Amino acid sequence: MSKDIIDEADIIIRNYRTSDYEATLEILKELQDQFNIGLNEEKWRETSGLRQFKPNLKRITLIAELKSSGEVVSMGMLEAVKNNLGQYIGYLNNWATKKEYIGKGVGKILADKAEQILKSWGCESVRINMAYKGERKLIEVFGKAGFDPIIIVLEKKFNTDELNQTPIT
Amino acid sequence: MVNLNGSSLSEKYPFEELAVVYVLFFDEAQGHVPLLIYPDDRYKNDKNFMRPIKYHPIWFLGAEDVLDHIDLEFKGYTFFGKRFLAKSLRKKRRAGLEEETPETIVIIVSLPNKIEIFGDDLIKTLTDEIRNNFGSKMYEIIQAEILRDQVIKSPETKKIIEKGNKIKAELMDLIDKTSEHFFSNVIKQSDTTSIKMQKAISYLALKGIDVAHIAFKNYKDSFSTIKLFDPNVKPSMKLNTKNTFSINSINLMNDSQELEILVQNNTNKELTNLTIKITHVKEYFEKEVLNEFIDLWFPKEELLFISPTLPQINEYIFFILDENKKERLFSKRINLELINKQNS
Repeated sequence: MSKDIIDEADIIIRNYRTSDYEATLEILKELQDQFNIGLNEEKWRETSGLRQFKPNLKRITLIAELKSSGEVVSMGMLEAVKNNLGQYIGYLNNWATKKEYIGKGVGKILADKAEQILKSWGCESVRINMAYKGERKLIEVFGKAGFDPIIIVLEKKFNTDELNQTPIT
Repeated sequence: MVNLNGSSLSEKYPFEELAVVYVLFFDEAQGHVPLLIYPDDRYKNDKNFMRPIKYHPIWFLGAEDVLDHIDLEFKGYTFFGKRFLAKSLRKKRRAGLEEETPETIVIIVSLPNKIEIFGDDLIKTLTDEIRNNFGSKMYEIIQAEILRDQVIKSPETKKIIEKGNKIKAELMDLIDKTSEHFFSNVIKQSDTTSIKMQKAISYLALKGIDVAHIAFKNYKDSFSTIKLFDPNVKPSMKLNTKNTFSINSINLMNDSQELEILVQNNTNKELTNLTIKITHVKEYFEKEVLNEFIDLWFPKEELLFISPTLPQINEYIFFILDENKKERLFSKRINLELINKQNS
C-alpha cells in the first residue's frame, strides 16, 4: 500500500452488516490496545453495529471499505442522543482506522459522511469523546475540522463484581 | 359460533363458522350502531355476541391515527377492526353537522384465534371491496336503518327503507362472495415455512374445507392423503405483506429490562416512510413503549429495535406501519415469558 492519500472515489462508505463483525472486532482490538477504550469482546456482538433505534437514541456504525478489494479499512459509530432540553446531540465514538491506512484521509471521508447523517437526523452539534491521555496533536487535527474542546468528562470505573451483587432498591 | 334458534346457516354460508363480519356506523344520536352482520343479521340482538364489538378499541382510534387497524382478542376469537369515512347526503340529527358530513363506517371481522393469521388480509380485502363498491351508498342503508324505527311510515319513508334493504342485500352478497373467494384462495397456500400458517390450514381442513391439493405426491404409507408439511411444495400464492419482513431474533437484555428485536427487510428494494411501534395491551387499550420513524430501510438490511420493558407486562406487540399507504405491513406478538423459557 502506498503512502498516498486515498481518493474518495476508491472508498465505499456504507452501514455496518453482520458480516463485518470480524473485521470491526479486529479494528476495535487495535484501538483497545492503543487507548484502552474499555472493549469487552463478549459485549461487541454481531448485531452491535447494526442501525439501532431506541427511545431518544439512534445509532449507526459506518464502515469504510476499499472498492478494489472489499477490505474494511475504517469504522466509526455515530449516535444521536436526545438531551434533557429535547435537543439531539451527535456523538462520534470509537472512530478507528486500520494501522496501515492511518494518515491516508479515510477517517476524514468517514467523518464527513457522519456529519451529513447527523445533520439529517436533526442534530444541532456533534461531539467526539477522545482519550484524555491521548495526543494533544489529535485535538489540533480535529480543530482543523471545526471541533473545539468544550467539556471534560470524568469517569470512575465500577468494579463489575460489586455491580452484580448490589441490589437495586 | 353462536347458533341462533338451533339452526345452522352453514348450508347457505359455508364459511359462517370461520368468520363473522360486522358493518357498523357511528350514529350522531345513538353512538355505535350495527348496520349488517354476516352471516346472520339476527346476531345484533344478542347482547353477549355484541359485547366485544361495543368495547372494541377501533371506536377510540383518532381520525388521523396512523394505525391501519386494531385487533382485540376475546374468548378465543380475534376481532380485527378497521374504519373509514364514506360519502353522505343524509340529514344529520345533531346541530353543527351538515348533510355532507361523512359517515364513519367500521368493519370488524372476527376469526377463531386458530386462524387469526388470515385476519390482516381478510379485513383489508373486505374493507377495500366495501369501500370501492358501496362507499357512496352506505348512507342510504344508514338512512333506511334509522327510518325503520319510526312508528308511522309515510310512502316516501317506505321507499327509502325498501331501497336501503336492497342495497343491504347486495352488500351481504358482496361480503359472502369476498369471504368465499378469500378462503378458497388462502387454503391453496402451502407455505411450508410458516408453522402458524400450517396450523391455520389444518384448522380449515378440520372444518371440512378441501385441502387435498396440498397432499404429498406418491404418498402411500398413511391413512390420510393430507400431508401439510411437505417441504417440496412451493407456495402457489404468497401473502406479500407477510414475507416482506422477518424477525431474526428477540432477546431480553440488561436483566430483562430491555427488549431487543432484530428485524430484516427481506426484499430487494428500499422501503421508505415506515413507523415502527412496540406496544403493550392493558385493559383493551394499546400503550406505546417505542415509536420510531424509519425514512429509509435498505434491501436485506437488518435493524435493531431496543425498547424498555415494563414491570408486570409480559405481552408486547411489534408493528411496522406504512406511512404512505396508512396501513399495517407487519405485526408480531411477543411474550417475554416464552422468550425467557426459550433462552433458559
